[in-house]
Amino acid sequence: MLLVLSEAQKADLGGLLLLGTAGLTASASRGRWGPPGGSAVVGGPGRAGPGPAAGPVAGSPSLVSAVGELGRLAVELLRRGAAPRACEAAARKLNIGAEAVQHGVEGLTYLLTESSKLMISEIDFQDSIHVLGFSDELNKLLFQLYLDNRKEIRRILSELAPKLPSYHSLEWRLDVQLASRSLRQQIEPTVTIKLHLNQNEDQSARVLQTDPSTLLHLIRQLEQALGEMKTNHCRRIVRNMK
Amino acid sequence: MFVSHLDVSSRCPLLSFVDIKWKLGVAMSSDTCRSLKYPYVTVTLKVADPSGQITDKSFEMTIPQFKNFFRQFKEMAAVLETV
Repeated sequence: MLLVLSEAQKADLGGLLLLGTAGLTASASRGRWGPPGGSAVVGGPGRAGPGPAAGPVAGSPSLVSAVGELGRLAVELLRRGAAPRACEAAARKLNIGAEAVQHGVEGLTYLLTESSKLMISEIDFQDSIHVLGFSDELNKLLFQLYLDNRKEIRRILSELAPKLPSYHSLEWRLDVQLASRSLRQQIEPTVTIKLHLNQNEDQSARVLQTDPSTLLHLIRQLEQALGEMKTNHCRRIVRNMK
Repeated sequence: MFVSHLDVSSRCPLLSFVDIKWKLGVAMSSDTCRSLKYPYVTVTLKVADPSGQITDKSFEMTIPQFKNFFRQFKEMAAVLETV
């Protein structure tokens, strides 16, 4: 299954090309990506291009740390939302325009979340980003970034599923009813339950009352529900899903 | 303690009394205290909202609270006598 990247996302991620090139002039204020693409020179490993070198050189350890830095920003964006100051600091450190960093990080967040969501394989991941025209080294770094962060991103994404009210706690009380408006001289045991529920940070409580035999029936039903997990039918399905 | 306030603001529609039920019980044990002997009164008020929808509102009182509750009604009855 391939990722589908929109034109805007391709443009955002295209900014990462700046990380894989050498010999860019350091003018970060022109346009969205700084210097127009025409003056970028793709340098070989360790070779600086003409003019003042700017940005990390292809094949150097700083490409690894640059991708790592942007990857960290991308995951932070997912965890906590936009952090413009962190992007500006990264832009200064990497010698790229701040806007380029911001758009690149947004594109990277999309790439990482969609890949994690779909549990995309290596082949499909590489095929999907092939259209961006990155170097092999950058492609490998991006795939590693995806693998390293996949578990945490999936954990965050799992919290976005719709939720019903969930169990928080339970209080119970055993009472004996002695009289009512309609009937005197009684000895009726009852169980009063206060069920505390949570839903998206809202707390609610329901008070219920029942007699001991209904409570026993309820307990038996719940035990039966749990017991279903141990039947061959459920065991087979769970085994096949793992 | 009452569920309808005697305030005629539109945010709090005046519910009207339909019926009252009560029962008296003794709490014997709970998840926080295993040995109790705590009598209480449960009151259920049947009320109707302005549209006619009927709901039950239930609440519990300790014996002292109930005695106070009862005293309010005795006072109301006494005042009505003088009107």
